Amino acid sequence: MVYVSQKNELIFPISEKYEEYLIDESKFMGNAESISFPKNEDEIISILKIMKEKNIPITIQGGKTGIVGSAVPLEGHIMNLSYMNNVKEYEILEDGTGTITVESGINLIDLKKEILRIFKEKALFWPPEPTETSATVGGIIATDAKGINAFVYENIQKYIKELRVVRASGIIEVVSKEDFNKVIGKEGITGVISQITLKLIKKPSEIWGISFFFENEEDASNFIDAVRNDVPKSETAFIGAFEYIDKTSLNLIEGRKPTMAKIKELPDIDENFECMCYIEIHGEDEGIEEIAGNLMETAAMYNSDPDTAWAVSGETEIEKTRAFRHAAPETANLFIEEKRREDKRITKLGTDMSIPNISFLDMIKKYRDGLSKYGLNGCIFGHGLENHLHVNILPNSYDEYLKGIELIREWAKYYLENNGQIVCEHGIGKLKKKIFEGMLSEEFINNYKILKKEFDVDMIWNRGNIL
Amino acid sequence: MKIAVFMKQVPAYSEGNMDEKTGVIIRAGLPSIANVYDVVALETALRIKEITNAEITVFTMGPDKAEDVIREAYSMGADKGYLICDKAFAGSDVLATSYTLSQAVSSVDNFDIILCGKQTTDGDTAQVSGAVAEWLGIPHMNWVCEIINVTENEINVKCQLDGRLSVIQTAYPCILSVEKSIFTPRMPSLKLKMSSRKKEISKITLDDLNDKNENNYGLKGSATKVRKIFPPERTAKRDIVIKNGKDGADYILEIFKNTFNSKEENI
Repeated sequence: MVYVSQKNELIFPISEKYEEYLIDESKFMGNAESISFPKNEDEIISILKIMKEKNIPITIQGGKTGIVGSAVPLEGHIMNLSYMNNVKEYEILEDGTGTITVESGINLIDLKKEILRIFKEKALFWPPEPTETSATVGGIIATDAKGINAFVYENIQKYIKELRVVRASGIIEVVSKEDFNKVIGKEGITGVISQITLKLIKKPSEIWGISFFFENEEDASNFIDAVRNDVPKSETAFIGAFEYIDKTSLNLIEGRKPTMAKIKELPDIDENFECMCYIEIHGEDEGIEEIAGNLMETAAMYNSDPDTAWAVSGETEIEKTRAFRHAAPETANLFIEEKRREDKRITKLGTDMSIPNISFLDMIKKYRDGLSKYGLNGCIFGHGLENHLHVNILPNSYDEYLKGIELIREWAKYYLENNGQIVCEHGIGKLKKKIFEGMLSEEFINNYKILKKEFDVDMIWNRGNIL
Repeated sequence: MKIAVFMKQVPAYSEGNMDEKTGVIIRAGLPSIANVYDVVALETALRIKEITNAEITVFTMGPDKAEDVIREAYSMGADKGYLICDKAFAGSDVLATSYTLSQAVSSVDNFDIILCGKQTTDGDTAQVSGAVAEWLGIPHMNWVCEIINVTENEINVKCQLDGRLSVIQTAYPCILSVEKSIFTPRMPSLKLKMSSRKKEISKITLDDLNDKNENNYGLKGSATKVRKIFPPERTAKRDIVIKNGKDGADYILEIFKNTFNSKEENI
C-alpha cells in the first residue's frame, strides 16, 4: 500500500526520479512505495508515526555506499538522511583535542571540511576513515566500517562520545556508552541514528604513503608476512595502514583511470608489476624515516626494487594515493554495474573475512586455488597486516555469479572452522544474509533477535537486514 | 647542460582570503602544495636530463616553509635547490617576482634552459616566464606542449598557441613555460625522499643579488596593487533540457553541428 502525506509533503511516492534510491553500491536493486528526506529529528518522528500507523516498514539510507544492500529497501518506505548533514555544535578541549556534534547524514567529505574550518590550527581528525569519502557518519557507525587505518586506531567506539537514536517507539534516546554496541554495527535494526558527538584527536604531524611494487604475488605475500611477524616501530612513528592490491585490481584501475578525476594524473603502473603494497606511516619525520628504511630493506629482500617505490607526504598527496587504493573497490563495483545491466540478478560478490592464524601467503593461495577451481575471475585487495582481504568475484554471467556464491560459502566454511571471522566491516545486510544462509551461528542470530525484540518488536526499521 | 626550474608553493585550495591592507593572499593555516604546473616543468627537466645528463637546479621564492617544495623536487630527482627568501621580497607582483627570479638565477650560474609551469594556481597570471625572459634578454617559448628534440646545443619544441601549433627551435640560453599536458609527473621515489631530508638547500637573500636596492623588490617594487580578491559571481543561467532517447541524441547532435559550424566560420 502506498501512503503519501498530503499535509506536509514529507513523504513522496516513488517515481522514476527516485529510482537511484532503490539501489546502493552493492548493485542490489530493491523496491519501495515512498521516500522521505527528513531534515531533523522531529520530521523523522512524524514520518515514523505515519508509517507505524500503517505498518509500513522503513529502510534507512545514508550515502548509499554500503555493499551488502543494508540501505536497499525490499518494500515500504525509504527514509533518506542526506539532508540531515549539519554540524550542531563543537567543543575545543583543554588537552588540545575536541568534539563535534553532527547529524548522521553528514558525509566524510563535508565532515573533514567542517573540522578543518572549525578547528583549523588545532589539526584534528576523526580516525574512522573508510576510503569511500561519500559515506555518511551514520552509515559508518551503523555498519561499523573501519577503513584502512583501523589497524592502528582500532574500534570506532573509541571515537564516539554520544549517540542519539530515534527508536521505533518514537522516543529519542541518548544511548549510554554501555549500550553503544546495541547500535554500532547493527545496520539500523534497532533505530535510526540521528545525531552523534564525535571525539576528534590530533592529526599525526606527518604522514608518508609508500607504495612497493612486486613482480609476483608470492614475493609480496612473503613481504607482508615478514612485516606481520615483526612490525617495524620507532619511538615517534608507527604504521597506520598496510594495504594490498593485486594485478586484476591494478588492471581494473588502470583501465578506468583516465575517467577518474582524483587519480587520472597519477603515472601508469608498469605492466611488469603483479601487485603492490600501499603503506602509511604516521608520526614525526625522523621516526617515519626509520620505519620507511626498515620497510625498504625488507621489501628489497623480497625482490621489490627500492628505486621503483613511491613515497608521498602531505595531505593532498596522501589523498591521491588513498583515492588510488579506493579505486580498487570502486572499479570492481563498476564492473559489477556493467554486468548488472546485462542481467539484473547479478550483484556485488565480495568477501569481508579475516583469519589471524595462517600466513598471508597461505591465505592468498587459498583464494587463488578457489578462483581457479571454480574457473572464476576475481580481484583481491584489502588490509594486509590483519589478513583481511576483500576478494571480489567478477562474474561474466549469472551462472558464474552462482558459482561465486558457492565459492564464498566454501571459503566462509573454512574460515569458521579455523577461528576466522566471515563478516568484519561491511555488515550482513540483505546480500550476505542470503549468501551465508545457514552458516551464521544460532547464538549470533539470537543476539540480533533479542535486540530486535527490545527495540523494534514491530519490525519497522530496516526489515530484511541480518534477520 | 644546466637546467633551472622555477617552482612555487601554493595553497592546496583557495578560500579567497586576502589581507585587506596589502592585497596579499593569506596562506597561514592552509595546507600547501607545489604548484601542479611547476611539477610538470620539473618532470620536463627530468626527461631532458634522461637524454642529456643535465644538472637540475630548482628555485623557489617564498617563506622558509617553501623549502618543502625543494625537498619534493629532490625526491623526484632534482640535484640542487635554492630558496629565495627575504623580507624584502614579500608581496611581490608579476613585475617584482620576475625581477627577483631573474636576479636570483643570474646570481647562481649560467643556465642553458630555464623551465617553469604555464601558470600558478594562486596568482593565475601566466606572465612570470615572459617577464623573466625580458629581464634576462633570452628567447621565451610559451605553452610548450612537446619536446621534439633536445641536444647539448639546441632545443626543438612544439608550442600550443591560440588556434595553431608552432614548432620552434632555439639555441641556449632560453626559457620555456610548459603546458600541464606535456608529461605526467613521476611519483616521488622512496629512496630519494629519504635522502632529500639531509640534502642541502641554499638560501638566496637580498644581499646575494647584484641589485641590492630593496625598492626594486616585494611590495615596493610592485607595479600593481590588488584591491580585492573574491570568487566570481555566478551569473550565467543555463536551461535544463530533459529529452529521452532519439530526441535527446538529435538535440545534442544539433548543438555539435552549431558549434562546429561557428568554428568553421571563425576559421
